[in-house]
Amino acid sequence: MSYAYLFKYIIIGDTGVGKSCLLLQFTDKRFQPVHDLTIGVEFGARMITIDNKLIKLQIWDTAGQEAFRSITRSYYRGAAGALLVYDITRRETFNHLTTWLEDARQHSNSNMVIMLIGNKSDLESRREVKKEEGDAFAREHGLIFMETSARTAANVEEAFINTAKEIYEKIQEGVFDINNEANGIKIGPQHSPSNASLPPGSQSSSPSSGCC
Amino acid sequence: MTSTLLDDRRDACRALKALSKKYRLEVGAYGMDAIRTVLAGDRPDSEIVGYALDTLANICSPQVFTEEERPELGHECLLHVGEQFTEIFLKQSDGVSLVLSFLEEYDFKVRWPALKLLSALATNRLRDIQEIILVSPMGVSKLMDLLGDSREVVRNDTLLLLIQLTKGNANIQKIVAFENAFDRLFDIITEEGYSDGGIIVEDCLLLMLNLLRNNTSNQNFFKEGSYIQKLGPMFDLPQESNEDALWSPQKVSNIHCVLQVVRALVSPGSPGQVTLTCQYLLMAAGIVQALCRILMASGVPVDVLTEAICTVGESIRGNSANQEFFSTVLAPFTPPKEAIVVLLMSMVNEKQPFVLRCAVVYCFQCYLFKNETIQAQLVQTLLPSTTEVSNVTCGQLLCSGLFSHDSVSNWFSSVCLSHALIENPVQKEQLLRVLLAATAGNPPVSLLHQASLLLQQCGKVQSKVGLLMLLSTWLSHCPMAVKQFLSIPTAIPYLTTQAGSNERDENEELVQGLCAFLMGICVLFNNDSVASYTKENLRHLIGNRVGRENFVSKLSEVSRHEQYSKAAKQPQPRAANSEELLLDHEFCKLFKALEGMIIKAVTSSDGGPGGGGSGVVARYKDLIRDQDRRLAETQATVLRLQQEGAALESRLEEAAAHVARLTDENMLLRAQVGSCFNVYLFTIDKT
Repeated sequence: MSYAYLFKYIIIGDTGVGKSCLLLQFTDKRFQPVHDLTIGVEFGARMITIDNKLIKLQIWDTAGQEAFRSITRSYYRGAAGALLVYDITRRETFNHLTTWLEDARQHSNSNMVIMLIGNKSDLESRREVKKEEGDAFAREHGLIFMETSARTAANVEEAFINTAKEIYEKIQEGVFDINNEANGIKIGPQHSPSNASLPPGSQSSSPSSGCC
Repeated sequence: MTSTLLDDRRDACRALKALSKKYRLEVGAYGMDAIRTVLAGDRPDSEIVGYALDTLANICSPQVFTEEERPELGHECLLHVGEQFTEIFLKQSDGVSLVLSFLEEYDFKVRWPALKLLSALATNRLRDIQEIILVSPMGVSKLMDLLGDSREVVRNDTLLLLIQLTKGNANIQKIVAFENAFDRLFDIITEEGYSDGGIIVEDCLLLMLNLLRNNTSNQNFFKEGSYIQKLGPMFDLPQESNEDALWSPQKVSNIHCVLQVVRALVSPGSPGQVTLTCQYLLMAAGIVQALCRILMASGVPVDVLTEAICTVGESIRGNSANQEFFSTVLAPFTPPKEAIVVLLMSMVNEKQPFVLRCAVVYCFQCYLFKNETIQAQLVQTLLPSTTEVSNVTCGQLLCSGLFSHDSVSNWFSSVCLSHALIENPVQKEQLLRVLLAATAGNPPVSLLHQASLLLQQCGKVQSKVGLLMLLSTWLSHCPMAVKQFLSIPTAIPYLTTQAGSNERDENEELVQGLCAFLMGICVLFNNDSVASYTKENLRHLIGNRVGRENFVSKLSEVSRHEQYSKAAKQPQPRAANSEELLLDHEFCKLFKALEGMIIKAVTSSDGGPGGGGSGVVARYKDLIRDQDRRLAETQATVLRLQQEGAALESRLEEAAAHVARLTDENMLLRAQVGSCFNVYLFTIDKT
């Protein structure tokens, strides 16, 4: 299926906050309680609709462990959106947000949309970080904020889609230079004049993207 | 070099560069530090930086220059000079990032030598350079930007460097893919004319291959990014007007590479889901169809054909829709023949190249893999049918291969037939019905009987191994086949003699081990319906004639054989020559699954039914029955508890309602009492 735009995302945050589970819930609509540590980065993709336009999301889920930090930095520059995730049941993951944010701001392009996510909202009894604190942090740093649960799928769709909406709006406002692929945005094949040589029908739909 | 004047330093650098090939040792030993200082300090002057980089590239180069050859120095001691200087250069941590930063300079005099230097360093110390590039910010990005350089030499050298850097490093592979490598590569391939393009197309495909092979994340990215469709035009073959022009050596290399790219996407080693989707997309993009056209075209060079056959195999393996499609592909003959039949004809033809025949076996195995319908269709072609078939069938070809004098054909055909039976109990029994017309006057003989006779008469190890693998697959999990086999008078005596033999020759021992394995299968899947060879009798026979310990050690000969570990590793038979072709991948899996059970069945000391194979099965059946019973009980308990719970809950509600009512009544009564009391007081008051 051909899309109007393609956005590249990265998911960042401390190890064990549920980055891979958020991605799996978003792309496969399932939850995996026991998940292996991510090594380096893993890729996932899904199609969504915004403003009646098909938008392809390509998502790079990064390893949270310190050892991979220098590798995952390579992904900041080329991304249009970032999901910065902490775990509401572990205060230290919230405390590390500043470091993550500095890192992201330093290595990414300045227009990258960052969504702050407090994950594991289903574990209310073990909560260590109040929702208001997440809200305040987001407001202070100009981020969008949401609490999600990869387990129950609560707000997971919204997190990915709202980020895309924000990027989409920035495109409409002309903030992004959409012809520069280094921004993590691509125009779909039939929308871009440079790909006119492509024979029609060569973009046959794939089953995994078609279902979305 | 240490002069305070830039002009002087520049002249010195130019001189050093001129000397750096002929007097590489001297320049490297005395000049390395000075050059480094220039790189760090004279950045704005592109000329001097260019000389410095060139000089470094020369002294670190992995090649031996003709200029530096001197009679007093042996060629040997020059070989590792570049490597040693590389090591020295890498000792200072910032060296490489400095060189990387020069990639950003657009000036050709700087960019190109920086690229050459990096390439020399990577050739000598790949792991180190990979690690440094991974941790230097934007390291890979800078290289990727150079892929768009309009100066071809820069672009091409960047490509070569990226091929080096992505070797065996999944993290770099993923970053390169993230940096839009597939788009860049397809842009170049399109520009250069797809498979008709020059060596640059091959380089693009090699990089693509590095990015995809064993990298699930990148494979996912590739299929999600609709890049599979972009491979399509690579397989457009022009009409066969001039075959020499059609298959230039470069075109052969290009097609060979793109076939490997396809195989990387559908490799049997990848996670099943990725492979299945890629297979589906390859079909949807018309690539499987294009591959089949290559298979049936004339004048295709053998190595392209061989690789194309394997690629078709892996694009249909375990994917029923694609397998179905392949069964309908016709070869352009008059009358048209099925492609699969044509392929099998080459397989049982001694004159065909060995590699090609191996590829056909593999493709055929893929065609049968996990597809009961196709397996049934194959067996069907061997069964007596009412309609007379005029065309040659797969079954006939395999039979002719089985009874051919060529041991390679015997082996291929045995393995192909065994693959029609894998995990398919129905076809194991169906194949028992196959009768072969014997010599005139004699009654027809069953295929099973004929195969075991062949085993006894044949002198070649390869044929015997093939037949033993076929029989083992056939008899495993099929008591009816075991029964028929045991009824062949000479079968068990032959196996006993072989398994008990002490002839010492590597491959004879393999045959003996396989005979022991087949005997073990006869014990394990024996339903005691042949009186002379009941499970118990066979166990005694093994104990007395072979010896239990000897039997076990014979069995272990199989897994100890050097071909066993090779075959167990991957489904594709990879034999360098025909003698190496002995064990089949699927058979190794069967062997691994049954070996322990056989040893247990044959060696367990108690003679009771618990010792045998069916004893094991019976035990498991009991266990399952027991678990079933307990499961049912537990479910009943759960249900009862739920009902009780519900009852209690409703009673609790009732009680709560009752309490509430009572409380209300109580309050009412109190209020009444209160008002009565008030009235009473009032009355008293009044009185």
